[in-house]
Amino acid sequence: MITGSDSMEIINADNISYSYPDGTQALKNVNFSVETGEIVALLGPNGAGKSTLFLHFNGILRPESGKIKVNSQPIVYDKKGLMEVRKKVGIVFQNPDDQLFAPTVGEDVAFGPMNMGLELQEVEKRVKEALEKVDMVGYEKKPPHHLSGGQKKRVAIAGILAMNPEIMVLDEPTSGLDPKGASLILQLLYKLNEEGITIIISTHDVDLVPLYADRIYIISEGKIIKKGTPRNVFADINTIRGANLRLPRIAHLIEILQKEDNVPFEKPYPLTIGEARKRVLEHLDDKK
Amino acid sequence: MVNILESYAYNNGLKNINPQIKILFAFITLIVSLIAVSPVVPLIIAFFIFLLLFFEAKIPISVYLKFMSIPLLFGVFNIIFMTLFFGISEPWVNLGFLNLIAYKDGFNLGLLVFSRMIGCVSCMAFLILTTPVSELLFLAESFKVPKIVTEISLLMYRYIFVFLEEARTMYHAQETRCGYSGIKKSLKSLGLLISNLFIRSWTRGDAIYLSMQSRGYNGSIKVFHTNNKLGFKPILMILFFESLLLLGVYLTREFQLI
Ligand SMILES: Nc1ncnc2c1ncn2[C@@H]1O[C@H](COP(=O)(O)OP(=O)(O)O)[C@@H](O)[C@H]1O
Ligand SMILES: [Mg+2]
Repeated sequence: MITGSDSMEIINADNISYSYPDGTQALKNVNFSVETGEIVALLGPNGAGKSTLFLHFNGILRPESGKIKVNSQPIVYDKKGLMEVRKKVGIVFQNPDDQLFAPTVGEDVAFGPMNMGLELQEVEKRVKEALEKVDMVGYEKKPPHHLSGGQKKRVAIAGILAMNPEIMVLDEPTSGLDPKGASLILQLLYKLNEEGITIIISTHDVDLVPLYADRIYIISEGKIIKKGTPRNVFADINTIRGANLRLPRIAHLIEILQKEDNVPFEKPYPLTIGEARKRVLEHLDDKK
Repeated sequence: MVNILESYAYNNGLKNINPQIKILFAFITLIVSLIAVSPVVPLIIAFFIFLLLFFEAKIPISVYLKFMSIPLLFGVFNIIFMTLFFGISEPWVNLGFLNLIAYKDGFNLGLLVFSRMIGCVSCMAFLILTTPVSELLFLAESFKVPKIVTEISLLMYRYIFVFLEEARTMYHAQETRCGYSGIKKSLKSLGLLISNLFIRSWTRGDAIYLSMQSRGYNGSIKVFHTNNKLGFKPILMILFFESLLLLGVYLTREFQLI
């Protein structure tokens, strides 16, 4: 239950470090926290440690040092505690083929609820609702390998939704999708968020993120090097470039116009087409 | 081929019929076909199933023939073989070369085997072309097939298609770089492909395990299944039909073509 004012923080990684058995230190003293109802994006290049961090959120990986708290409660790493945290925190994996293992869509979506030990009727209801939410009704009896990439992704999301999590963690949800498919997924996440699910995504798609995320963390080589609102984070161009990321295309264009062509745009640069349009129109008005 | 058969299983004119009914029908008919002592009933069964597949399930004739061609060929060889070598009574025709002699009872036996085979394969074709594997697995479970077997089959079934796709991509990638020009290179490329697939199946296994854990997996896959109830009418129809076939088996027990 969410009570009081300090429990706004729904997930908190407190100074965690993690090394893989082969010695690779994937996370170094990471602090990461998310408040109830937010959409938070974890931005970082390949190999930065995004997937590793996410696997900590539902207790799949256990930090070497530091603590993970969900709803202010530290994760308890026994059978019961893990089941509890996995009901609250659902992870959608990057590659849907790693997640969809059942012979049919319906059975796959039912997998989580069945493991939660729900009544068959309740399972059926949840499968139906989850498929409705991701707009995949009518595919219950289809095998996953007859679906497109975007459809697989949506079914993978439904498989998590059916467990009614409070937090949904999505590892690169738009990777491998066409622009339309990627945009549909993000719209879906936005809608789910409005219905009250807290959402954490990882990505390196800097063009889409500012449209949706309330806050951004930047991770590079296992360390969080920046956090804040999209506006604040992207204002720090050196850090962004230092982490092998780039500005959103639109911000980049405005930057070039300012620096190379001396068009007097002020920082912070606009991050979305909408903002940029407004600023350009303002500029044109000023000139008149 | 697997892909084609598989996609019909999920999409055919009979897909809305309760799978248990289809399975029941296929198995009882298969048994009748096996216990028939003359070729008549199995051939009727084969013909009936052909009609069902063609007119009701709307399976194209080419797919049906593809499925049946190998057993048919095998059956015909079997007739020839048995006619020549399985006779014990007096000779029927002397072929006049290689001292080969055809026997009547050999021929009759061969024909019986042929018809039983076609009957049984038809039942299997019916099942495979109209019923998804997931349904078969589910039924296997209710027949007390050990859970470990059905679980492994379930995972295998799904990932065969994933690996098929990956193998195809890798094969194309190798072909693009002339990996299959010449026998030696072909062998080397194929070896690489197979070992790579093996490693991938290993890492994929890891990834799947993580994602299953995330959804609360704790050692056994609980399959969720919705099926409409078994109606009384279809069961009666099957019983009626099978009784007719059995009567046919009884009435034609003495029948021999020659
Ligand atoms: N199973 C593993 N064993 C050893 N090292 C790993 C394993 N998984 C990831 N790593 C390493 O940990 C680092 C972080 O990886 P990962 O979390 O997958 O990054 P990202 O998701 O941001 O691309 C990388 O250097 C990667 O090579
Ligand atoms: Mg990753």
